[in-house]
Amino acid sequence: MLKLSLTSLLWTLLIVATAAMATLLLDASGEDTQLRPASFNKAMERDLAFQARAAFLQKIYAPVEAQLKAGNPQSALLKLDEVGRNYPGEAHGFILRGEILRGMGVLDQAIANYVRALKLDGDYLEEAGPLSRRTEIRQLVDQGLSELTPRARSNPDNRSLATTIRELHYLQSRLAGGCE
Amino acid sequence: MKRFFLVLLLPVVASVLFLAGCDQVKERPVLRIGYMNCNSEQETMQRFSPISRYLSEKVGVTFESVPVDTHEFEERFQAGEFALTHTNSLLYIVLKEDAGLKLLAADKRGHYGSRTAGTLIARKDSGIETLEDIRGKRLVFGPVMAPTGYLAQYDLMLQAGIDPERDLGYYAIPSGSFKHEKLIYGVYFGDFDVAAAPALDLELMTRDGKITADDFVILAQSQVIPYCTFGAAPDLDPEIFAKVKQALLELTPADTVEIDGERIKVLKSAWVDGFEELLDSDYDPIREMARRVNMPPYQTY
Repeated sequence: MLKLSLTSLLWTLLIVATAAMATLLLDASGEDTQLRPASFNKAMERDLAFQARAAFLQKIYAPVEAQLKAGNPQSALLKLDEVGRNYPGEAHGFILRGEILRGMGVLDQAIANYVRALKLDGDYLEEAGPLSRRTEIRQLVDQGLSELTPRARSNPDNRSLATTIRELHYLQSRLAGGCE
Repeated sequence: MKRFFLVLLLPVVASVLFLAGCDQVKERPVLRIGYMNCNSEQETMQRFSPISRYLSEKVGVTFESVPVDTHEFEERFQAGEFALTHTNSLLYIVLKEDAGLKLLAADKRGHYGSRTAGTLIARKDSGIETLEDIRGKRLVFGPVMAPTGYLAQYDLMLQAGIDPERDLGYYAIPSGSFKHEKLIYGVYFGDFDVAAAPALDLELMTRDGKITADDFVILAQSQVIPYCTFGAAPDLDPEIFAKVKQALLELTPADTVEIDGERIKVLKSAWVDGFEELLDSDYDPIREMARRVNMPPYQTY
């Protein structure tokens, strides 16, 4: 009888302890629900800022894009100069300039401009996103490696070619996930 | 006794050191850099004196700046007047083919770095929309020896089956300085229908707010070709050649020299963003243009 009551007592203690733990856990999760709106707002603010920046960039650089689409790369560059008067040193300007110059076959300057852009803003490497230029950068790296590396190898003392190859490797490392 | 000898030796040692110093100053070579005039001799000297001073400091040679008119450059270079030259890319080819000029480095400026392009432009509201529309129209070129103000556009027209000598209403070349700006304004203000404008000048004028991208329609544009170039005489000491090249390639926007008591930024003064090491084969597109247009150094009569 005593044995049975001891077992019952142990069971009772176990149930009480479990209940207490559950209460504690519930309390803790109750605190979480109070914190959640703050962290949620932070994420939302970040996403909103990103979306707003992307929309703003697309708006101010729309004339450049329009000239590019119309097949006027030189006019697109001139439009970039105009936008650049209000927003000098903007990463998106370097991205667009790199894109235009690549289309015109001026690879060394295209590479230099993409490097400047990525040093200012790594968002262009995101796989998905309104600003993503990952595919274009990968294509530029492939083109650069096939066209410029043999030229640099044949002229090993040429410092300008060596600089371009270093920049190409920088883009390659950023694509691979390397940091600054 | 020892002190007596020391007193006697001191002036002797001082004199030897002084004379050796004088000899070194005397022996420091003086070399001349011929700079192709763009607008005026005064402007050329203002632009390039700092770069000559910088090179003198880096190379250990005294470089003197000499402004030179385009048409007399070849004769003076062949007479051995200049150890270094700074010219446009067409003149570089002329001096290389005719007098063995060696490539040092090319100026970098604008979107295309060490290169730029020639464009044919018309006012946007002129009704001229394609290259074919320029037949019978009034065209203004830049200076005859300008690679992207004359040569490239003349070639563009020939390639499109337009003979500038027969198919245009007439063409002209502005006189005096600032020819490239003048011809852009010439079209802007309606004195001409079409202008042969270097892409670099369009870029600079847009950046300065003098024109806008919407003012003009670009009817045609050449491929990008090298811009202004530093060259060296074939007999220049290889050690000096190497030092000059290194100094040019290492020049940064922060580098300054002192001229008449004033600290001046070398690159900013020269209107250059930096220098690039090109290959002579990079100039081949200009050679092909010069052959097609029948211009020096391939001109035949």
